[in-house]
Amino acid sequence: MLKRLKKLLSGLFGRKDQIKLGIYGPPNTGKTTLANRISEEFTGEKMGSVSEVPHETRVVKKKERINLQTNGKEISMNLLDMPGISTKVDYKEFIEHGIEEEDAKARSKEATKGVVEAIKWLDKVDAVLVVFDSAKDPYTQVNVTILGNLEAKDIPIILVANKTDLDEADPDNIRDAFPQYNFTQISAKEKENLEGLYREIVENI
Amino acid sequence: MAKKKKKDGVKIEFLSKLRLQEKAFAEKLDMIMDGVKEENILVLEEALSPKEKAQLIEKSMEECDEEFPGIEFSGFDSHDNWLEKIIGRITGKPNKNGLLIVGSSDIMEKVEEDKDAISMIAKLE
Repeated sequence: MLKRLKKLLSGLFGRKDQIKLGIYGPPNTGKTTLANRISEEFTGEKMGSVSEVPHETRVVKKKERINLQTNGKEISMNLLDMPGISTKVDYKEFIEHGIEEEDAKARSKEATKGVVEAIKWLDKVDAVLVVFDSAKDPYTQVNVTILGNLEAKDIPIILVANKTDLDEADPDNIRDAFPQYNFTQISAKEKENLEGLYREIVENI
Repeated sequence: MAKKKKKDGVKIEFLSKLRLQEKAFAEKLDMIMDGVKEENILVLEEALSPKEKAQLIEKSMEECDEEFPGIEFSGFDSHDNWLEKIIGRITGKPNKNGLLIVGSSDIMEKVEEDKDAISMIAKLE
């Protein structure tokens, strides 16, 4: 109800010049791949490097003044690619990915700071894409915590079931776990249904 | 840094609603972190709000180091409807009915979780 009222008032009195759109989710759900796709399409530039190693993004990355256009509608935004939120960061996991011990420890320290920074940004974003790995269990405390905090602040949310190109992907599992939110499914890697995501953004944010 | 001493088993602490009601959230947070760093599993007879859960994650990240990799937690929330949520926000007293299980990620592993069932494994090595 509050969300509807907010949307109505925003429609009547106009919206902010640049909305801050945060990309949230646990590590390795494809947030930076998605941020790169959006940024490349509307600015011609990438936002960050991607890796199979968790916590590749350890500081908030920002791309300003993206004009997302689709279906005759336009939204102007600052895109924020957040470090993945996690309840644990174990340097030994990085060693398993072939990283030297000292580098793994340094990476681990940076990753913990990144998680704290991402949580602090929950108070400052205007709208959020919560990105899920469609092949993984969506009902985790990290996801429940992200969604609960955004909902408590009436921040518009779109659930993005990513990695639908994987054989074991089950995006319906995500929709069923959190049926109260706007939802779309994509493969950022394979550039599948990005147009559908853009429509969700201009219509619901 | 000194290596952790191996323990024979995992201590599980159950904390009643009555006991928790007496404490401010900052105190509860310190108590949880002290407990999990001792490699105990804590079962709290109350749910955390989303904001409190975010603070719990933040605190565990701030305390993460080579010996303490963070936490695993799970629980049942109160599942308030929108009216109950609004009343909770207005009165500043959200419904705390629920349960929280929290432990170091070294010893605790989630197996399955949904809105009304959880299974966990405590690693004894």
